[in-house]
Amino acid sequence: MADAVLVTGMATQWRVAKWRPRRTTLLAFAMLSPSLLFLALFTYWPVVEVAWQALHNQQKIGGPQVYVGLDNFLKLFGDAAFRKALANNLVYAFGTVVPSLVLALGFAMALAKSNRVNTLLRALFFLPVLIPLVAAASIFLFLFLPNVGLLDYHLAKLALSGPNWLGDPDVALYSIMGLTIWKNAGYYMLFFLAGLQAVPADAYEAAILDGAGPWQRLRYITLPYLKPTIGFVLVIGLLNVVTQVDHVFVLTKGGPSDSTNLLLFYVYQQAVESYDAGRAAAGTLVMLALLLAITASSLRTLERSFGEREA
Amino acid sequence: MTTTRRSVLAGAAFAASFALSPAFAQAPTEIELFFPVPVDGQLARDMATMIKEFNETHPAIKATPVYTGSYDETLIKTRAAMKAGKPPAAAIMSANFLLDLKIEGEIQKLDDLVKADGKSNDEFMGQFFPALYGNAVIDRSVYGVPFHNSTPLLYINAEHFKEAGLDPENPPKTWEEFAEAAKKLTKREGDRVTRWGVMAPSNYDTGGWLLQALTYSNGGRWFNLDYAGEVYYDAPSTLGALTFWSDLVTKQKAHPPGVQAGGAVSAAFLSGQTSMMLQSTGSLTYIRSNAKFPYKVAFVPKNVRNQVPIGGASLVIPTGVEEARKKAAWTLITWMTAPEKSGWWSRATGYFAPNMKAYDLPDMKAFMAKNPDAQVAVDQLAFAKPWFATYKTVPVRKAIEDELQAVLSGKKSPKEALVAAQKTADEVMRPYVEQTALKLPTN
Repeated sequence: MADAVLVTGMATQWRVAKWRPRRTTLLAFAMLSPSLLFLALFTYWPVVEVAWQALHNQQKIGGPQVYVGLDNFLKLFGDAAFRKALANNLVYAFGTVVPSLVLALGFAMALAKSNRVNTLLRALFFLPVLIPLVAAASIFLFLFLPNVGLLDYHLAKLALSGPNWLGDPDVALYSIMGLTIWKNAGYYMLFFLAGLQAVPADAYEAAILDGAGPWQRLRYITLPYLKPTIGFVLVIGLLNVVTQVDHVFVLTKGGPSDSTNLLLFYVYQQAVESYDAGRAAAGTLVMLALLLAITASSLRTLERSFGEREA
Repeated sequence: MTTTRRSVLAGAAFAASFALSPAFAQAPTEIELFFPVPVDGQLARDMATMIKEFNETHPAIKATPVYTGSYDETLIKTRAAMKAGKPPAAAIMSANFLLDLKIEGEIQKLDDLVKADGKSNDEFMGQFFPALYGNAVIDRSVYGVPFHNSTPLLYINAEHFKEAGLDPENPPKTWEEFAEAAKKLTKREGDRVTRWGVMAPSNYDTGGWLLQALTYSNGGRWFNLDYAGEVYYDAPSTLGALTFWSDLVTKQKAHPPGVQAGGAVSAAFLSGQTSMMLQSTGSLTYIRSNAKFPYKVAFVPKNVRNQVPIGGASLVIPTGVEEARKKAAWTLITWMTAPEKSGWWSRATGYFAPNMKAYDLPDMKAFMAKNPDAQVAVDQLAFAKPWFATYKTVPVRKAIEDELQAVLSGKKSPKEALVAAQKTADEVMRPYVEQTALKLPTN
């Protein structure tokens, strides 16, 4: 109801001031046109092409692409490897986003006060963010190397032998998750540091006067104030787990036995290794839908929490 | 991105050559060569040197080498360039991709070019090692020219052999001796293994190749050489090979469990963490220049017979390359694969030279005398057979590699793994089978 009122209100305004909004709209579009052009060329048009490809595939080997309806999607969901990649991605998402968020919040709270030591520590925790994911994965390749790698080298000093970090199907995904957490925690810390600046000092003072312990202060003051930040970081984190697979490519290529295969890497395999453009496109659309759903729901939560603070 | 930019540049150069055509009536034919570097950066410079020499000796052609990453990436970029309507005049392709490319109609028959040189296909292919025919000649037509090739080899640490009371001059020849040596060479401190007897890469790509080598050594055929829709995963020879590998892990406890990546295996061998390894001849130069201990190489041990698959790459001409550029590409290809250049490239890289006559040249003779390990690799060629290639080679290979990895991790028994691998592979090849071998008269 409120929306409808708003719309009619705007519409009347539109009619009254006939020329002004149109000029500003024109100006807005003129200023947006360069990015719109590139978005259209490199984002929207490819999306259209992917959507077309998802409904087409080769029927005859070496033949042209023909319309196959939803066949690609049926085959996609029928593929055990796809379901495995989907399941892996869920474990991966949950197992990396939550720990990185908790770590990032911990770092940010510990280093919130600005002094020389904290500045140095912040820089140190932020360092992994500066390393490209491919480079980071190449470094971790040496850390994870069985017997001679850094991890096993130190374990050997304790007379322990580590697992086959990247070669054991039960362990490999967790090794990769370790890398992701290491890489992202510092990045998210940055947002929390900014978020913590917005928590008013008097709120803490009042809480201390009321006799609130550190846990209660975290629960009833810090976290509520940080809600928008958490929402934002959650979106970024979830987008990251779907769109970044460079380390999978470098470290395991999805193996052993598909145990580290993630959605995007699966799509890559379909497109490049299996040369099945139709199924790859179907997979891409499923991913796209997933990303849109995540973003839309998170953004709504985000807006709601902003709204709460205004109120 | 590189491809696009390059094509734009090439386009600009092409346009410019039109504009200047009155001045330069005899503009050189411009061709591009897509080449992968599977090993290290030095090879890219070697390739540049080689093409520079070609351009200097062939003024009518201007060849540009374009570095395109790994074998897989070269395939991707070549296909992308073809889709954009700008195929490279020639590309160096992993030898087992040729069948796939032929089935999809993406590479050209080279028969007419061979004929124009006044040779029959047999005469032309006769200059190369016979082991290489299978991956270059499809349906009696030449589709690729072998450029550099490899086979799996057994590498042993001579010091460890002496220490364990084994004779390094006499590396294991049979699976029996192999397993025995691996067991003796393994060292333990309590439950912890401090040195493994043997390691073999089981990551994607290499894993399937080595299991094929063991299956071949076990008398098996692995895949149908003449028909792209058949593999023999669920067969006794394959079962024996997979069980042997799995036993090295579980019975002899001389091979680490789980997947070992190719690079990690070489690193373990160089640091003395494993006494033996199965690895490509392509690693020979790397091991030779980095091993701080005496090492030896030998044939892959056999159970039934000595036989290994080849690896490596061939030169191809993509579909859509027209007359002048096609001829220029052919000139480049025949020049690069002639004995002299073949030998030079072999010495620079560690791959063996596919052209047999390369080994009759004095430079090559001197090199082989100095490096007897390289001779072993060449000798094993007499027992080499084609590399695994089917319709959709990579996913069909992945089908058994996923299962191999499950077996080495103790997740499945060899038999159930092979049944599953066969099922997956058959599923991948089904469209091809239905359109060929099972396409029967309907009435």
